[in-house]
Amino acid sequence: MDTIDASEHYELGTTEIAPSLLTVIIDTNPHAWATIEDALPFSKAVANILVFINAHLACNYANEVAVVASHLQKAAWLYPVSHHSQKPADRDGDVVMNGDSNGPQTSKYRSFRLIEEQVNRSLKDLLDSTSNDDFRSNTSTMLAGSLTLALSNINRRTIAWAEEHGGTKPDEVAGDGGGLATANGSAAVEDDRSLQSRILIVSVSGSSDSAHQYIPMMNSIFACQRLRIPIDVCKLSGDAVFLQQACDATKGVYMSLSEPRGFLQYLMMGFLPDQRSRRHLVLPTRIDVDFRAACFCHRRVVDIGFVCSICLSIFCEPPAGNECLTCGSPLDAGNLGGKTGSSSEKEEEEEEDPPSKWWFGGWDANVGACDSDSRALNIIILDLFNEGWNLH
Amino acid sequence: MAASMSRPLEYLESLPGTTFKKLYQQPSTALAIFRRMLPDLAKCFVMAMLYLKDPLPTSDLEKWVRSDSKRQRDNALSILGRLHILSTTLTDNNVRACMVNDPFASSLRQALMGSDDAQSFGVLSQTSNESTITVADLDEYARRQWEGVLGYMVGTSGLGQRDINLSKGVKQLLQAGHLVEIRNHHVDITKDGFGFVLQDVNTQVWHILILYVESAQAIGMDSVEVLSFLFLLSSLELGQSYDKKGMTSVQLRTLTDLADFGIVYQESPDATRFYPTRLATTLTSDSNALSTPASGSLNGPGQPGIPGTGFIIIETNYRLYAYTSSPLQISLISLFTNLKYRFPNLVTGKITRMSVRRAIDKGITADQIISYLLTHAHPQLRKHNAGQATSSSSTMPISVLPPTVTDQIRLWQLERDRLKATPGFLFKDFSSLADYQTPCEYARDIGVLVWKSDRKRMFFVSRHEEVVAFLKSRS
Repeated sequence: MDTIDASEHYELGTTEIAPSLLTVIIDTNPHAWATIEDALPFSKAVANILVFINAHLACNYANEVAVVASHLQKAAWLYPVSHHSQKPADRDGDVVMNGDSNGPQTSKYRSFRLIEEQVNRSLKDLLDSTSNDDFRSNTSTMLAGSLTLALSNINRRTIAWAEEHGGTKPDEVAGDGGGLATANGSAAVEDDRSLQSRILIVSVSGSSDSAHQYIPMMNSIFACQRLRIPIDVCKLSGDAVFLQQACDATKGVYMSLSEPRGFLQYLMMGFLPDQRSRRHLVLPTRIDVDFRAACFCHRRVVDIGFVCSICLSIFCEPPAGNECLTCGSPLDAGNLGGKTGSSSEKEEEEEEDPPSKWWFGGWDANVGACDSDSRALNIIILDLFNEGWNLH
Repeated sequence: MAASMSRPLEYLESLPGTTFKKLYQQPSTALAIFRRMLPDLAKCFVMAMLYLKDPLPTSDLEKWVRSDSKRQRDNALSILGRLHILSTTLTDNNVRACMVNDPFASSLRQALMGSDDAQSFGVLSQTSNESTITVADLDEYARRQWEGVLGYMVGTSGLGQRDINLSKGVKQLLQAGHLVEIRNHHVDITKDGFGFVLQDVNTQVWHILILYVESAQAIGMDSVEVLSFLFLLSSLELGQSYDKKGMTSVQLRTLTDLADFGIVYQESPDATRFYPTRLATTLTSDSNALSTPASGSLNGPGQPGIPGTGFIIIETNYRLYAYTSSPLQISLISLFTNLKYRFPNLVTGKITRMSVRRAIDKGITADQIISYLLTHAHPQLRKHNAGQATSSSSTMPISVLPPTVTDQIRLWQLERDRLKATPGFLFKDFSSLADYQTPCEYARDIGVLVWKSDRKRMFFVSRHEEVVAFLKSRS
């Protein structure tokens, strides 16, 4: 017999579960794929990703998916593709399909097939449009651009979804996990009501390539962090500094595959669970996150650098004219030249608000500590960024 | 678990294991069951194990799930076991391991990757569309038919509504399911029927379909075939027409019957193609907004097909405003409300103790009333209460309906409902406290425990199979 108590309000659990939007960013850098050609050819990887996408769509009727290619010179949509740029996809597309494929089309769930065809078609277009010059002149990948595309799409979908559904929806807490009501924090409860978005980056390029995109990347990462969008990274080769930071900041999954042949299994086990399920699972994450940053002047990845105290820009060496390149504040180099000369390591420089006043001595005492644990220093820097500073 | 999910689940569970083997041959069935019946965590398990060659050791699975989510894990595993999806085996070195059973695993893999065998996801009609049926047409057809069925049950067909010609089969089915009784040529709705009409459309459709499958067996149709055909229907795409060629006679017959309910549309029983309506395509969806557009459009023409449209506003003073002119909805609301005024597009009334008791006397439960109100809550009501909840940092779940109203409706029911019967099984006579405690905790974890008494060393469960298996595995 139910007892009456004031803390428990009777609410019927509808099976309302907010669908999730998965954005897959595929690194299509041909240089990088060439290096793992033997273990996992690109075509096979794409096939695996498509199965993974189908599995995601199979989990919920209303789940959505978006695929972005992070190519050499540009970031491009693979799915969905805007209608004016290609052949009409849906209505007229049917006529085409009726014409060219009779047998095999029926053996596949329709929405799976549509996505698959679209992704393959746009991927082919993308590769066809890559000129030899592009190929030779560039070895990196437009990861920052893809992240931005993904984010803007997520934002658009989230707003559209919320509008369609009359604001937030009730009772998902009770409906959560098929009726396994759990008392989660209110933040988690809040998240359950809106479209659940997450980003998966399938990355093959190395870290040195993406250093020149440091600032836009970090901005996207902080945006994700703020919107509580986890960034999952599946690293097929190499190890990227900034992507580790992305996962760490957004509480995503980071996996560096030692055996790329098992790509699909990794995807299915590690990356398929959505935010709701992840609360119940032990996730593969890294403890030893590489927190290094790239300097703003030469885009070098640095362990320790100079930080402008006004705008927190990072420099690998004191900028010319002792003026911050970002905000233009005059910085007092002081006896810095001597310092860097005497010890080969780079040091942290801090400047008090009226630029004429210096606390260099105070920081000098800390330099030793920072040297021994460069990561701790960089954590501090990152934490400062997280407070809401904008990098320009 | 919500009612809409549990009913098909309960029905499926009651089927014998061999039926599952046959059912899971179809990729569309495997996909539909995977999508519709499983909780989130179970979906993760299935997907993680789907492409594994060797069974996954149970210990690994336990490590994968957080220790404080043990209950969810056991529940997920229990459902997977009951649906014959997962089985545990012993590997060569005597480790307990689980794996996805074969017909299901291979079918789901086929669904995900595509295969070249038969048309498990329907054949798109190849004929050129000279008379195109739009999605709006389909929605309208589904709405009309479904409202006709409900109207027949509630008896509103006399209230100036267009008469829908319900076929004899539909009427017989409703009667066989004890939703209506016919006395002196007069249709009387039963207690079950009242419960039925207040549910959301998706639940209603499932209810009817299960009745249909049950009755199909009685008239000599293969229930497995009918059932897998229903799952196939649910994976079709709205607004597309499908070819009837190659369908078996059982399927064709089912199709004709389902057309009477508005679940599929065909121009005539002899047409060469059919269209699934929204009622069919949202069968396996969880999402409320997708599963109730038909009800959204039930509240009158002018806004058909807008997902998630509700029309009821309730205030904390128990006043109810319903923006509808549908005689069906008005008569439903009047079941538990004292209606006061009626305007062309609005009825107002008040929920009182007497009106709720009257409804409960007819066999309607408080849960049904509340879920009806919830399903049809006006967007304004949702927005308003959601806004309130975000401003206050409450850890309580946000309620769309005023909590005072829902609680009071419950209390009014409890006033007369003092006994509750639960069929189940009693475990007693445990020799030691430890012997008693472990199975008791296990039963609680898998969510079947109803009652226990530590002093008497007894506990009562709603299902006993797993507890027995657990006890056996320990002895």
